[in-house]
Amino acid sequence: MSEPNGPILQLAGVTKRFGGLVVLDGLDLTLPKGAMQCILGPNGCGKTTLFNVVTGEFPPDGGEVRLGGRNVAGLSPHRISRLGVARKFQVPGVYPELSVAENIEIPLAAGAGRYGPLSLLGYRPDAARRDRLLDLCGLAGKAGEKVGEIAHGEKQRLEIAMLLARDAELILLDEPTAGMSGAETSAVASLIRRLRDEEGKSILVIEHDMNFVRQLECPIIVMVRGKIIAEGRYEEVSRDPRVIESYLGKRH
Amino acid sequence: MEATIALLLDTANFTLALLLVTLGLVVIFGLMNVINMAHGEFFLIGAYVVVAVSNATGSFWLGLLLAPAVLAVVGLLVEWLIIRHIYHRFIDTILATWGLSLVIKQGVVVLFGPGAQSVPNPIPAAVDVFGVQYPAYRLFIMALSAALALATYYLFFRTRLGLQIRGVIANRAMAASLGINTRRMDRATFAVGSALAGFAGAVMAPIMSVDPQMGVGFLIPSFLSVLVGGVNSLVGALIGSGVIGGATTIFSAGISQADAQILVFLLAMIIIRFLPNGITGGRK
Repeated sequence: MSEPNGPILQLAGVTKRFGGLVVLDGLDLTLPKGAMQCILGPNGCGKTTLFNVVTGEFPPDGGEVRLGGRNVAGLSPHRISRLGVARKFQVPGVYPELSVAENIEIPLAAGAGRYGPLSLLGYRPDAARRDRLLDLCGLAGKAGEKVGEIAHGEKQRLEIAMLLARDAELILLDEPTAGMSGAETSAVASLIRRLRDEEGKSILVIEHDMNFVRQLECPIIVMVRGKIIAEGRYEEVSRDPRVIESYLGKRH
Repeated sequence: MEATIALLLDTANFTLALLLVTLGLVVIFGLMNVINMAHGEFFLIGAYVVVAVSNATGSFWLGLLLAPAVLAVVGLLVEWLIIRHIYHRFIDTILATWGLSLVIKQGVVVLFGPGAQSVPNPIPAAVDVFGVQYPAYRLFIMALSAALALATYYLFFRTRLGLQIRGVIANRAMAASLGINTRRMDRATFAVGSALAGFAGAVMAPIMSVDPQMGVGFLIPSFLSVLVGGVNSLVGALIGSGVIGGATTIFSAGISQADAQILVFLLAMIIIRFLPNGITGGRK
């Protein structure tokens, strides 16, 4: 997808407006290949819109979105997905009516090549790959269960497994621990670190939970009103007076 | 006894033809959330393709083969020209497809006249079924309809394309982010659904009076089948068609056609009263 060590994702002056409201205000962001960054910010600061612009859900009104050097602004979501971008939604985008195994088979099938007459023959999914992904995400033994009936934390991990099934190099995670217990949160943090350290994925995370952000051990970007106001390690950012004022709140 | 067997065969016959129309309606609604009011007219076009091809070439079979292909193209055009622009607007799709159905119906009147056309029975023989002399062509309809229903099931539940279409039905945004071209799935589904209706119209042409109103005669029972069986379920389409198709033929055997219709509507109302999501939807 890109030359070694070059940035996998680069946003330059990205602007997005909804009517008169400027949601992204000339945003610049660079994610190196194989790195992870976490985006923090109050509600409505433009974090999810940023993801929507990267995945092609909305085209930006200005600026460039470069994936491995190629400007992808304006491409449709499935095309950007096929360039190696996968996105986890805030509400788990899993298929509750289908089994855990079938949920993994959908992205495996989407990546299995072009449609010719052969696609009308019976489909045998790559069971070994499916089972490896389930194992990696701690869902071994759940393959046959209906997704509507598994725990919330398991749905979140299943969705991550579905993104991995797409062979994505850049993974966008929108509040991956929303609604989780403390133990579930730690399990997801350790899974995400493994994706970076062992699988070599590049990852951008949106998160509110400061405890989880600390566990990710990665640089942090703080967004307020569509702009980046601070960047750095957790310890630096959490002491930055602008961040304390606009996001974390002052201690009295 | 013989009357019972004949009635059972007639029931199976109507149910299976109805199933083809209902399946098309269910897959289009399930995927795109579009209620296609012109679906009955796709059935109508299927029948008139057979009329036109039989008149021109003398071959019923060529018409039967061409009808689903013609309707697949019609489905693609309708999706491209009309549906894709408005499919986020539920009420508008009902109005637009209803308007389309009027245009098609009047178009047929202009081209073929308002009167009924007839298509000669392509297999005039009768077959002995458990002592009943039953028209061979009706048996052929049953076999073919059952095979097509099975093929539809296979397409949706055993192929890569079907898995992806089901992925789009369940969650469009997620499917797109997994790399599935959702627009292509919409087009494919609309074409397949339309082709099924066209095929049903073509195969039923020799045993029905082919006139510009015949589409409505199939659209209403297939809507009832969807409601009774459960929206969003291929199995529901099968059960719904069985209930509505079965009730229609069984009631019609004893009483007048109009009274039978009233009873069928009543039955549907009672089922929906107690199972608002249809038989496969459960009590919610």
